[in-house]
Amino acid sequence: MVKRISFLILSVAILVIGIIAFSKLSYWDRSVRIFSFSSATPFEGRMGRGPGGRGESGEDGRFNRQERSGERFARPEMRNLPDSIRERSRFGEGRQDPGMREGNIPDSLRQQFGPRDEERMERGPFGGGMRNGEGRGRGEFPGGKKINIRNVKWFLAVFAAFTVIAIYIDKAFCLIRKRKGKQKVIR
Amino acid sequence: MNLFKFFLSLIITIAMLLLMDPRSFYSLAFHEWAGLIIGLFFILHKILNWGWIKKVTIGFFRKCTGRARFNYVLDVLLLAGITLMILSGIAIARTIDFSWLNLGGSRMFWRVLHTSSSFITLALFGIHLGLHWNWVLQRLKIKKVKNGKEN
Repeated sequence: MVKRISFLILSVAILVIGIIAFSKLSYWDRSVRIFSFSSATPFEGRMGRGPGGRGESGEDGRFNRQERSGERFARPEMRNLPDSIRERSRFGEGRQDPGMREGNIPDSLRQQFGPRDEERMERGPFGGGMRNGEGRGRGEFPGGKKINIRNVKWFLAVFAAFTVIAIYIDKAFCLIRKRKGKQKVIR
Repeated sequence: MNLFKFFLSLIITIAMLLLMDPRSFYSLAFHEWAGLIIGLFFILHKILNWGWIKKVTIGFFRKCTGRARFNYVLDVLLLAGITLMILSGIAIARTIDFSWLNLGGSRMFWRVLHTSSSFITLALFGIHLGLHWNWVLQRLKIKKVKNGKEN
């Protein structure tokens, strides 16, 4: 009895983790995407990146339909805006001073960022280049890591959940069949 | 033979899980080569169970049990899934040059097909394992074989 209960608890735990992984991976959306695919559909990018990524538009990782259908957000005319907002936007524009981009940062800020950030500023935002002359091939890990099974565990959870569901459905069918067989014998 | 089948199935399962994320294990080159090799393993798995396939194919509409029929349909779907997965993988391969195959179609289409087929196939794999769970337990010697019958 104890064995059965512990197996049941384990199965429930696997199912719960599987359901979490199922929603985390957007499993259903990604499985049926091929059935709603048309060559005119813009590429939605990988999960968490680009438009439609999980990080941008919530859990389901879908595009904002309004944006897709062309009803884009229209920028309001400056003169129609209240004074306070106009002031703020002018301040924002002032921040994009080209001189700042070229590395003419005041000394006070330089001290605040420290030597590492200073180096980055000089190099520019897209430093690129090779790491110790070795570089990085396509599809290789950025940090030189060889194994990264962070995502695999979610797939394992979904796989295990499907297995548990199949085991219990199979058991249920066997039980029904046995009961039917017994009823026939009694009759 | 059964032990060999068991280890082959285990390798296929582990490899399939590792291949679900292209960057989980070494590089994309590993993903592409392992994807091709897993296809061969799958064919080997089918060859080892050829007796069952032949028996059910012949008696599919006559003497088969419902369970055997369901397993057969599931296996056909798995075969289709694996085929689509490998075919779309070949079409979008980056480290192995398959351009000579001239598969055509847009890269985006193959990519979406690769993702969808692999996700559906993994789910089918899970169901397949669930339906053969008794066989797994017998191999692990957790469950005894009843009357010489194997699941």
